[in-house]
Amino acid sequence: MSQGNATAAPLRPTDLRSLRDAVLDTAGTVGIAGAGTAAGWAGRLAPVDAVLDTTGLAGVITHNPADMTVAVRAGTRLRDLQDELAPHGQHVAFDAARVTDGATVGGLIATADAGPAALVHGSLRDLVIGVTFVLADGTVARSGGHVIKNVAGYDLAKLLHGSYGTLGVLAEVVLRLHPRPERTATLVIPCSLEEAAAHTATALGGPHEPTAIEWTSDGVLLVRIEGTAGALDARLERLRAALGAGEVADADPWERHAELVRGEPDLATLRIGVRPSRLPGVLADLPTRTVTAGLGTGVATVTLPPDAVAAAHARVHAAGGVSVLRSRPEGATAPAWGPPPSALPVLRAVKAELDPQGRFGPGRFDPWM
Amino acid sequence: MTIDSRVVRAFEAALAPEDVISDPVRCRAYECDGLTGYRVAPELVLLPRDAEQVAAAVRVCHEHGVPFVARGAGTGLSGGAVPVADGVVISLARLKRVLEVDPVDRRAIVEPGVTNLEITAAAAPHGLYYAPDPSSQQVCTIGGNVAENSGGAHCLKYGFTTNHVLSCEVVLPDGSLVTLGSDTGEQAGPDLRGLFLGSEGTLGITTKVTVRLLRTPETVRTLLADFPSVAAAGDVVSDIVAAGIVPAAVEMMDTLAIEAAEEAVHAGYTVGVPAALVVELDGPAEECDEQFEQVKQICDRHGCTRLHIAGSPEERAAIWRGRKAAFAAVGRISPDYFVQDGVVPRTRLAEVLDRIAAMGEAAGLRVANVFHAGDGNLHPLVLYNAAAGETERAEKLSGEIAELCVELGGSLSGEHGIGADKACSMPKMFGVDDLEVMRRVRSAWDPRGLCNPGKVLPTPRLCGERPGKYRPHPLEEAGVIERL
Repeated sequence: MSQGNATAAPLRPTDLRSLRDAVLDTAGTVGIAGAGTAAGWAGRLAPVDAVLDTTGLAGVITHNPADMTVAVRAGTRLRDLQDELAPHGQHVAFDAARVTDGATVGGLIATADAGPAALVHGSLRDLVIGVTFVLADGTVARSGGHVIKNVAGYDLAKLLHGSYGTLGVLAEVVLRLHPRPERTATLVIPCSLEEAAAHTATALGGPHEPTAIEWTSDGVLLVRIEGTAGALDARLERLRAALGAGEVADADPWERHAELVRGEPDLATLRIGVRPSRLPGVLADLPTRTVTAGLGTGVATVTLPPDAVAAAHARVHAAGGVSVLRSRPEGATAPAWGPPPSALPVLRAVKAELDPQGRFGPGRFDPWM
Repeated sequence: MTIDSRVVRAFEAALAPEDVISDPVRCRAYECDGLTGYRVAPELVLLPRDAEQVAAAVRVCHEHGVPFVARGAGTGLSGGAVPVADGVVISLARLKRVLEVDPVDRRAIVEPGVTNLEITAAAAPHGLYYAPDPSSQQVCTIGGNVAENSGGAHCLKYGFTTNHVLSCEVVLPDGSLVTLGSDTGEQAGPDLRGLFLGSEGTLGITTKVTVRLLRTPETVRTLLADFPSVAAAGDVVSDIVAAGIVPAAVEMMDTLAIEAAEEAVHAGYTVGVPAALVVELDGPAEECDEQFEQVKQICDRHGCTRLHIAGSPEERAAIWRGRKAAFAAVGRISPDYFVQDGVVPRTRLAEVLDRIAAMGEAAGLRVANVFHAGDGNLHPLVLYNAAAGETERAEKLSGEIAELCVELGGSLSGEHGIGADKACSMPKMFGVDDLEVMRRVRSAWDPRGLCNPGKVLPTPRLCGERPGKYRPHPLEEAGVIERL
C-alpha cells in the first residue's frame, strides 16, 4: 500500500469517538486509508505524518428493511454489507468492480467510483442519504438523515463524494436500498464498438429498460436485464428480437468485465466520462490496450501506456468530458487529472474552509490544488 | 430607497434601464412566494435577459454589498424567495428558452425560467420525458427545482432533481460564471453540483441546466383503492415494499383531503372513506402487469372496500387530478390553510398521523392529510379561519408538526425546503457543529453573505440564541415583515 512514508504505525480507530480523537491527537498531515483497493488512484498521496486506517470502523449500525435504508460504518466493506442485506431481499444498487476486492463504503464514496448499473441507479452520490464525518480540526458533523426524501440543509455528502479524503473522514453513511432483483440475465453480442453503439440505441430506444450496457475490448457487448422472474424470459426474447443477435450468458460475463476494469500492473488505467455519443470517437483516438465502455452512460475505463495519459486527458477534455487516472505502473509518472474545472476557485475555497492547514490527503488533487 | 443611486445606475448599465424596476407598486408583485403570509418589499427588481446579465447584476451586488434573492415562478412554499430588506430580487423569468433537446444522448439543456412541464413537453415528440414532477410543474421553473431539489409523486422510483441534473451553469455570489457537474455521472473532484442542488438559492444562481431525459415507460398501470383505515392502507404499502416492488408512485389521502378534492374536481373518489391509496406502476409490459396483479392481491388482503383500476389514459388522468387537486381544494372546506411538508420513516406514518390528529384536536383545528406513502413524505394541511383569529394557533400547530417529524427520525422537509419558514427549526434536526459546518461551507461560496441571506440556516438575529418552543415568526418579531 503506497501511503507515503508516515513516521508512525497507522491509526486504526474503531468508533466515531476514537476516530475524532485520532484526528485531534495526531499532528501534521494525514492520509486516509480504506481497504487499499484504490490507494494509487488520482494524485499520488504526498508523504504524510500519519495514516488513518478506517477499516476498523466497520459494521452495520441499523438496517430498516421496511424503510429501505441502512446506516453503516464507513470502513465496512461493501461486499460484507451486501451479504448482510441479501437475506432481506435488498441490496445497495451499486456494482463497481472493486467491490468484490473488498473496497469500503467510505472509499467507494471518496473515489466517486461506479459500475455498469449506474445506467439506471447512478453512483453512490445518488444512493447516500446521510453522512457523519470528521474534519481536520476534529469537528464531527452530520448532514442528510435517515429518510430517502430529505431536503433539509446542505447535502454535504455530495461534497465528500469524489473528494479523495481531502475534505474530511467519513465515519458513518446512510444508504438507500433497492429490492434485489428476482432474476438477472445478460445478453452477450459479439460485435465491434461501432456495432455496439447501434445496438445500444436500439436497446435504449425500446421498452427493454436494461440495467447495464457495456462493450469490452474482448469484442462483446453485454446487455443486462434485471427484474421479476415471471417477466424476464419474455423481456429477454423481445430484446434479442430487437437486436437481431445475442445469446444469454451461461457463466457470469461481468467477472471478466471487472477484470478488465481492474487494469494491469504494467499499464496506466484511466477512467473517462463523455457524452455517450462522443465516446466511441474518443476511444478510437486513444492507444488503448483494453476498454470497458458504458455506451448508455458515456463512462469508460481504459488501459494504455503511461506516456499516453497526458494526451488522453487532453482528448477527453476536448470532447467536453472528464478523466481521472486510476493507476500507473510502478515507477512511472503520469498526470492524474486533466484541466481543472471552471469551479476550481470554489473548490479551493471549500478546502481552505474545511481544512485550512491542508492536513488531509496532500497531493490528491495535484496540480489543481 | 436605501440603495444608492450610483448603484441603481450600475444595475441599469448592467441590464437596461427598463429592466430595473424601482416602482414600489410593481415591486410588490415580488414581495412573497407561495408562502403568502411572509412579505418583504424589495428595493429593486431586476429582470435580466440572459446569463451574462445575471452575472453582471450579481457583480454589481457583490461590489456594492447589496443582498440579492433569485426568483423563479415564486411558487415556493417555504419563503425561500422572500426578498431581503434593502436588497434586490433577481428574476429569472426571462431566461426561458429550451436551448437543446438531444434524443440521442437523452438530455436537454434549458434556461432556469423554463417550467418543469415545458421540459417534458419539449421531450415528448422523442418519446422522452423529464421525470421529477412536483405538483406545481405547470408553473414552477427548473431553476427553482434546482434550488429546492424538488421531488414530486414519482420520486420514490425515479429520484429527485439532483438525480436528473447532469450539470448547471452557475453565477457565483462574486459574479463569476462557472459550470458545476459534467456531461455524465462521472465527476472529477468533489460533487459541487450535488452540493449546489437543493441549496435554496444561497450559493449562487443557476443560468443553464442540463437535465437527463428518460424514455416514457411502455406500460403504466394505476389504481385507486379505498380502505377502512389509514393503518390498513399503510400495511398495503408495507407489503408492496416487502414484495420487492418499487411503485412509480404511492399516494395516500385521508377523509378530509378526499372530501375536499372530490368536491373540487369530481374525480371519482369515494367521499367519507377513511383512506384512499393511489398506486401506480410503470415499466416493461410483462413486468408491470405481473407486479400490478400482486398489488391488487395485496389490496384485497387488507380489506380494500373499493378498487378502481384506470382503464384508459383519461381515467388515469382523473385519478391524478383528484390527488393533485387536494391542496387547493381544501380551500373549499376551510377559509384558510397552511400546507406543511415533513418526512418520517415510512414505517412510522400511522404513528405520526395519530399524533397529528391528537395535536389537531388539542389545538381545536382540523388537519387534512395527503402524503407520498412510499417515502414517508407528509403534507398535512392545517385548516383554520384567519377571521376567527386562528392564525397563530394554526401556525404553531404547523411548526410543531414539522418538528414532530424530526422527533420520529425524519426530516423537517421532504420537498418544500427550509427557506425562511423553517430556518429556526434547523437546530431541532441538526446539532450545533452540523450547522456550523454548513455555515462554513456556505461562507466559502458566499464570503460576503449577500446571496439569499437569512434562508436555510438559523441566524442569531432572526432566531435568538436558543431557539426553543414555537414563537412568532422571527421575521415578524424583528419588524422586518408584516403579517397579512
